Amino acid sequence: MVDHLPNLGREEIMLKEMGLSSIDELFSDIPEAVRRDSPLNLPAPQTEEEIMVDANRLLGANVAINSRPNFLGAGLYENYVPSMVVAMATRGEFLTAYTPYQPEVSQGMLQALWEFQTMVSELVALPVSNVSMYDASTAAAEALNCAVRVHNKKATQKNVVYVTEWLPEHRLSVIENYSCGAETEIRTLKWDDNGMVDLKSAEAAHGCCAVYVEQPNPFGVIDENLAELKQIIGENTALVVGVNATSLGVLEAPGNWGADIVVAEGQPFGIGPTAGGPIYGIYACTEKYLRQMPGRIVGKTFDDKGKDAFTLTLSTREQHIRRHKATSNICSNETLIALMGGIHMALLGPIGLQKLALRNAAACQVTMAGVLAIEGVELLFTNGASYNEFTVVLPGSAKGALDYLDKLGVTAGLALCDVMSGADEAWLHITATDQTTNEDVAALVGGLKSWISSTVMAVGS
Amino acid sequence: MSDLFAFDGAPEAGYAQPSPLLSDEEAIAGIPESIRRKSLPRWPRASEPELVRHYTWLSRRNFGIDTGFYPLGSCTMKHNPRVNEKIVQMAGMNDLHPLAPASHLQGLMAIFYEMQEMLAHCAGMDSVTLQPVAGAQGEFAAIRCIQEYHRSNGEGSRDKVIVPDSAHGTNPASAAMCGYQIIEIPSNENGRLDLGALRAVVGDDTAAMMVTNPSTLGIFEPEIAEATEIVHNAGGQMYYDGANFNAILGKTSPGLMGFDAVHYNLHKTFSQPHGGGGPGSGPIGVKSHLAQFLPKPLVVREEDEHGLDGWTYSWEDPVNSIGKVQQWHGNSGAVVRSWAFYRRYGRDLEKMSEHAVLNANYLRHRILNPSEELASKISAMPIDGAPARVVKHEFTLSMSPVKDATGVSGKDVAKRLLDYGYMAPTLYFPMIVPECLMVEPTETESKEVLDKFAEDFLTILTEDPELVKTAPHTTDVGRVDEVWAARNLVLRHSLGE
Ligand SMILES: Cc1ncc(COP(=O)(O)O)c(C=O)c1O
Repeated sequence: MVDHLPNLGREEIMLKEMGLSSIDELFSDIPEAVRRDSPLNLPAPQTEEEIMVDANRLLGANVAINSRPNFLGAGLYENYVPSMVVAMATRGEFLTAYTPYQPEVSQGMLQALWEFQTMVSELVALPVSNVSMYDASTAAAEALNCAVRVHNKKATQKNVVYVTEWLPEHRLSVIENYSCGAETEIRTLKWDDNGMVDLKSAEAAHGCCAVYVEQPNPFGVIDENLAELKQIIGENTALVVGVNATSLGVLEAPGNWGADIVVAEGQPFGIGPTAGGPIYGIYACTEKYLRQMPGRIVGKTFDDKGKDAFTLTLSTREQHIRRHKATSNICSNETLIALMGGIHMALLGPIGLQKLALRNAAACQVTMAGVLAIEGVELLFTNGASYNEFTVVLPGSAKGALDYLDKLGVTAGLALCDVMSGADEAWLHITATDQTTNEDVAALVGGLKSWISSTVMAVGS
Repeated sequence: MSDLFAFDGAPEAGYAQPSPLLSDEEAIAGIPESIRRKSLPRWPRASEPELVRHYTWLSRRNFGIDTGFYPLGSCTMKHNPRVNEKIVQMAGMNDLHPLAPASHLQGLMAIFYEMQEMLAHCAGMDSVTLQPVAGAQGEFAAIRCIQEYHRSNGEGSRDKVIVPDSAHGTNPASAAMCGYQIIEIPSNENGRLDLGALRAVVGDDTAAMMVTNPSTLGIFEPEIAEATEIVHNAGGQMYYDGANFNAILGKTSPGLMGFDAVHYNLHKTFSQPHGGGGPGSGPIGVKSHLAQFLPKPLVVREEDEHGLDGWTYSWEDPVNSIGKVQQWHGNSGAVVRSWAFYRRYGRDLEKMSEHAVLNANYLRHRILNPSEELASKISAMPIDGAPARVVKHEFTLSMSPVKDATGVSGKDVAKRLLDYGYMAPTLYFPMIVPECLMVEPTETESKEVLDKFAEDFLTILTEDPELVKTAPHTTDVGRVDEVWAARNLVLRHSLGE
C-alpha cells in the first residue's frame, strides 16, 4: 500500500462533492482510441524499509572512489565536503522550494545566491556571475554562443570560434551540439611543444567571435602563455577561459589576465563527484556580456517600504519571456548544488581556499615525483608545471595498466584514448587531490612498477 | 539582517584542514611565479557556528513544500520523500566517478537500467536515455535527434518546428538552439489545439511539432491523435513535453497518442526535490527509429550468473549518437532519488495520477462553487481559463472578471495568498489566458488543505481591494521592486567599495 497519498480512502467523499461517482469519470475526457487497455506492468509498491534494503544492496555493490587509492579525476574530483554544508543546504525550506518567482517569501534563497554570485565574482575576478549552469561543459558551450551573439556583428571571422586542441569528448561534443543553433564554425587553436597555446598561430583567431582555452589544460599543464592571449586576439573577440575552480587559490584569477567569460566545474566546492551529477557550472563575465548571458541572476533591490530585498532580475533574456529569442533554453538549473558550493566557499574563507589549493598542488607534485621515478614512465609535456593532474606516457597500454592496478585495488587514473580522439593508448592521466595520501601514492607507484615488470617487460623479452 | 560579508574573524576562522603532503613553501614553488595569485578573493572569515546561524536564518526566510501548500502550476510540487535524500548520501552514490570502470558502477547501472525500462514502459517508448539534466535539455537533445534523423533520410531541408501558443517557453527556445525556425500556431477559442491552424502551416518543411498533453491549461487534448496524424502525414515528427506526465500514468501514454519522442521531468513526476531552482533531470524516450541518435552512452545488460542479481551491466553508444549534451551520464543523483520514489509506488503510479487528478478537480470545484455565504460577499468571480468538464492534474483561472470589477489583478491575489501562508500559483502562464493563475495541488495534499485553500482564496475576493493590491503585508519583505533591480543591477556585494 502506498503511503504518501493523504486522500486515500476519501475518494468517494471528494467525488460525491463534485457530483461524480467514480475516478474513471475524471479520465473520461481521454479519447477511447488512446487509452491504455492494460494496467502498468510494474512490480508492487515497496515500503521505505524494503527500498532501503534494495538501495543498500545495489549501491553497496558500487566501488566508491574514496574506498581505495584513487587517481581518477579529469574534471570531477575526489573531495571532502564538510558536514555542515549538506546539513544546511538540505534544510527543507531550501530543498523543497522552486525558482524564487515570489521574492517576498524567497528572500533566503535569493540572498544566499546573491552571496554565491559575490564569492564567484571574487574567485575569478569578474563582476558578474549567474546562479549556475548545468555543468562545466554546457557553461563553456553557452559562453561561446553568448560570445557569438555579442561579437558577430563586428567580427571579421563571422560565426567562427576557436577552441584549443585536445579537448576531451565530454567537453567538445557538448560544445558541438550547442553550436547548432548559430551554425558556429569551430576551429582549432594549436599548442606549442609544451602543451601551451602557441601564441604565434593564435594570431589566426584575431577577429573571430571567441577563443576557448582551459587553465590548466586537459592534460593538467599550467599554461603560462594565456596571459598574453587577449592582446593577440583583440578587443572584439571574447576570451573564454575554462578554469579548475580550486586552482584559483594559487593561480591568478583569469579576470586579472584578460578573460572576458570564465566557466568552471563547481563540484569540488559543495558536492562529491556523485557519479557525474548533480554538479554545477560556474559562469562569470564582464558587464559587456551581461545582457546576452544565459541563466538566472539575482539582484539587490528594495521592498515597498524601502527595506533591502533581493529578486531575480534581467529575466527578459530568458525563455519564459523571450521564447525562441531567449539567450538560452535553460530553466531549471543547479541552484541547490550552487548553494552547497556557496556554503562550502564561505566556510573555507580566503585562507581555507588557499590551503585547499596548496594541498592539491602538493599532492600533484608528490604523486608526479613518485610516478616519474619509475623507469620507463615519462611526462607527456616535460617543460611545464601541473596542478591537480598530469599525463604520463607509459611503456605499454594505459588500459592494460589500469586493469592491472584495478585488480590490486588501485584506481590509477584515466586512459585518455577513452575520452579524447587521437590520444595515444600509452597516455595515462593521473589526478591527485587534497584527499590523496602518501600511502595512496606508494600504492600507485608500487602497482605501476609491478605492472611494468610483470607485463611490459615480459612481453618485451 | 544577517550579512555573510560582515563576518570578519581571524584569518583562519573557517574549516580546519589536515596537513598537506608538502610544506606550503615547497608546494607554491611548483607553481610558476608569473601566474601565481596575488590577492585572495575577499570571501567571508567565519566559523562553523556562525555560518550555521546565518544559513538557518536564511532558510527561515524561504518557502518550500515543507513550509506549506505550493500549488505552482506546471511544476508538480509534490512531497519529497526523505529516504531519497538518505540514499543519495550513501558512499556508493556520493563518491562515484562516472569514468570509473563499469565494474565499479554495477549497482548504479542496475538502477539506470531499471529506470530506462520503467520510463520507456510508462510512456510507450522503445528507448530511453537518462543523460539530459532538465526538461529543457531533454527537449534540446530530442530535437537534435530528430534533426539528425531527418538529415539521415536526406530531409535535412525540413527547417521548421511548430509549437502551439500555449507552449512553455523552453519549447521554442530549445528548438531554436538546434537552428530551427519556430512556427507558433494559435489555440482555438477553447484553448485546445486548433487542427485548422495546424493544417495551414504543416508541410514538407516541417521537422517536428512540440505538444504538451495534458496541455499547459491542464486539459487533455481531445484531438491529439488527429494532430499526430496530420504531422506524420507531412513527414514531421511529434515531440511530447512531459512536464504534465503526472496526470496520465497508467491511463494513456505519449506512445499511444502517436508521439515519437518525449522528455520526462524527474523533478516533477518523480519527486526529485526542486532545490530552489534545480537540480532537475530530463530523460528522453524515443521510438525505435530515433534510438540510434540518442546521446551516448546508454546502459545495457547481459545475463551473468556472477553478476549483480544475475546481470552484468555495460555502457553502449547508440550507432549514430548525437554525442553528448551533458558532461557525464546526467544527474545520476536525481535518477537514484526518482528510482526510490518509483519503487514506493510501483504499479500504483496509476493511483498517484488518479489522486493528482482527483485533487485538482476537487480544488477547482471548491473554488468555482463558493458557499452561499461567501458568494454573497464576492463582487466578481474568476472564470475557468478554458471551459472543461474535467481537468487533469492542474487548472487555470482567469482573474479578468475580478480585475475588471475591482481592479485587483491576478498578481495581487497571488501576493495576497502569500499572507495566508501559501506559495502563489503560477502567474500569467500560459500566456493565452488573460490574468492567469495556474493551480496544481499534486496528489500529496490532503482534503483539509484543499478545503482551507479554497476558502482562503475566496475570502481574498471579499477583501478590501486596497488591502489586496498592496499585499503582501506579513511576509519578510513587502512587495519587491523588480523594476529598480533591473535598472540598477546590483549583482554582487560591494564589500565596502
Ligand atoms: C510545460 C513545461 N515544459 C518544459 C519545462 C522545462 O523544464 P525544466 O525547467 O526542467 O528545464 C517546464 C518547467 O518548468 C514546463 O512547465
